[in-house]
Amino acid sequence: MEVANSNPNLIDLDAKTDTASKRTFQGPVVDVERVSLEFTKEKDQMIVLEDVSMAASQNEFVSITGPSGCGKSSLLRIIAGLHKATSGTVKFKGTAITQPRSEIAMIFQNFVLLPWRTAMDNVMFALSAKRELSEDQKRERATQMLDHVGLKGFENVFPGELSGGMKQRVGIARALALEPEALLMDEPFSSLDALTADLLRKEVYSLLINPSSSIQAVIMVSHNVEEVVELSDKVVVLSQRPAHVVGEMNITLPRPRDRKSPEFYAWMDKIYSLLA
Amino acid sequence: MTSFSLFEIFLDLAYSWTRMFIALLLSILFSLTVGILAARNKRAEAVIVPLLDVFQSIPILGFFPIVILGVIAIIPSQVGVDLAVILLIFTSLAWNITFGVYEAVKSIPHDYIELSLMPDVGSWRRITALYIPASISRIAYNTETSWAVGLFYLISSEILTLGRSSYTVTHGIGVAIITFASANDWTGYTYAIIALLTAVVIWQFVFLREFALWSERYKFVEEPRAVRQDPLMRFYSWMTHKSISKLFLYTHSRGVTKFSSTFYRFKDGIKYSIVILLTIFIAFELGASWNLNIGFPTPIPSIGSIFSTEKNIIVALAYSFVRIWYVYFLCVMVGVPVGIGVSLNSKLYDGLTPVIETIASVPAPALLPAIALVTHQGEQVAAIIIFLGMIWYIIFNVMAGIRSLPAELFELNSVFHISRLHAWLDVYLPAAATAFVSGSIVAIGAAWNTLIVAEFFIVSGSTPITQVQTGIGKTIALATNQGDLLSLTLAVLSMTALIVTFNLVVWRRVYHYTTKRYAYNR
Repeated sequence: MEVANSNPNLIDLDAKTDTASKRTFQGPVVDVERVSLEFTKEKDQMIVLEDVSMAASQNEFVSITGPSGCGKSSLLRIIAGLHKATSGTVKFKGTAITQPRSEIAMIFQNFVLLPWRTAMDNVMFALSAKRELSEDQKRERATQMLDHVGLKGFENVFPGELSGGMKQRVGIARALALEPEALLMDEPFSSLDALTADLLRKEVYSLLINPSSSIQAVIMVSHNVEEVVELSDKVVVLSQRPAHVVGEMNITLPRPRDRKSPEFYAWMDKIYSLLA
Repeated sequence: MTSFSLFEIFLDLAYSWTRMFIALLLSILFSLTVGILAARNKRAEAVIVPLLDVFQSIPILGFFPIVILGVIAIIPSQVGVDLAVILLIFTSLAWNITFGVYEAVKSIPHDYIELSLMPDVGSWRRITALYIPASISRIAYNTETSWAVGLFYLISSEILTLGRSSYTVTHGIGVAIITFASANDWTGYTYAIIALLTAVVIWQFVFLREFALWSERYKFVEEPRAVRQDPLMRFYSWMTHKSISKLFLYTHSRGVTKFSSTFYRFKDGIKYSIVILLTIFIAFELGASWNLNIGFPTPIPSIGSIFSTEKNIIVALAYSFVRIWYVYFLCVMVGVPVGIGVSLNSKLYDGLTPVIETIASVPAPALLPAIALVTHQGEQVAAIIIFLGMIWYIIFNVMAGIRSLPAELFELNSVFHISRLHAWLDVYLPAAATAFVSGSIVAIGAAWNTLIVAEFFIVSGSTPITQVQTGIGKTIALATNQGDLLSLTLAVLSMTALIVTFNLVVWRRVYHYTTKRYAYNR
């Protein structure tokens, strides 16, 4: 499937001027400060996250990785405003996040498309809260976004007839249609088969981070070290439960990254040694 | 009766539970024999599975008067009535459990089957050491969930024996409830209902749950515990299982992966239904001539009398059909919002589920006397009984449908700031659709079953306490009372034919459309 991400004109022009003013904010887009998460289950106190701090700055693609079940997804949901941290704060451009914000969108592991709505209507569904847009504007934007992610011609197809990779593309289009400033991704490739995941990963960075995009920071949760090295500017490595940050590093490899290069392997080894 | 003793209520409970337990044991024996046979023998499979399927979808209660008359004709004593009651409960449990055994044996991993085919393993060893153990968890699972249905048939059949034959059931909780009510002893009535509820709850803990836990060790594949523990989910999956006639699957060109390809060839379910109906009809005619010997005034019917009787029956069927559907729409108006609303709120869900489950376990016929106290309008009483017989299926199915949605879907609503109205219209209602349709199919089936008590409520003698103007349930009840075997046979057959045809023509399409369009996990 070809993706026309080289054409920046597809992005809504109205939003662009908006974006420019939003970018004037100095400091991290998302700032996680000493977040802990505990809960009681059948009288057992369980500590999931312990004093986790991290940040995502302007134009940064940050990955959170760690052993499975360590609480990566919980951390992402706290950032999304879906869960409340037991202590600590998460800030979006300096304001504490207490509930889901319209500037933050999310891409889910299992796509979460409504099977009874077409690809188009799924994107439109996400726009239903945007009162300022007319029905026609919403339709136009949804069409643009589907085109942008390479789904031109699939607007009226139901998710049941789409492949896994195409479903996740709809998921991406849906998130982008909201023109978010921060994008959260929860294991976005792990429900896809290896080949499809490879293809989508190659495209996703430039889909999300480009001059015309509204997105200023991406935070991805993943347990796949290879995809973390391939995509991230910064990696935050969490430990086993109770999870705390065991390492944070900036991956300085130039893009596009060659997964077969020795430097790439060196970065993977570095992360593996922290995970072990 | 103006006074009552707790001991007698306890005795009545013991009688009822003994009947249930015997019916359960018979069902398990039957299910092991027939289920294993069907699973291991292709020729038997081709006959048994469609047969079981039709048995599952016919209104058992409608046949009960005929069963009583038949059994008493053979064994004219108290034992005969008891046998008839046990037989009825058996028919409400057996098909479901048999399907369970059949599927369990079918799904034994192939390696085990090959191991059991070694030369020194005899077929008896194969059955006792492999097939039976492999079936145990499904038997326990289906037993736990079918018990409530069995209870409905127990109470109904105990009540139905009253005033309908020369012999009646003398002890039983259903009898106690009706006897108290007809003697205007409302304290006794209340105590009997409470005793029934208590027994249901205690039985759940001391037997059903223990049985299910014990059976866990016989599982081949470990299921996720969280799913298993939720009683509602089990109720739901069982109900879908029981209700969605396998014929739907066989007669449809797609989605027949779950069962052996043998049935795939039997696309024409209607053919089977006709054969079965004819068989039943012949059996009735034989029964009729038998009954003639013990003094039932049934002349050999002429073609003319058949036609004139059938004309009345079709009118009665039409009345009942409309009655069921308008009550169904009331149920939908109440059940869908309640079901979705309750399951969206975790606190409400945790708090209300046990309450709803307990209320739902009171068989509607047991409440008839209390309802008749409020209103004497036959039409209203019938509507309330039909409503109570249907509403739980709608509520529970919708609840389970919503609860089985992934957490991510609810997160989607929050993250994208979807308004409550949009969430209901675009997410919850469509997401509940498949479960709602399965629930509706069982609900309508259950409604036909309640008709015979709902439309014509009689305690003893020949004056009914309440009755509707016209209805198939009333026709059946009257025909039984008057020993009019022709009307009885025609009424039951016509009702069955209507239900089976409606299932195949309407429900099957609706079901396939909704599962294709609205099933969440695909």
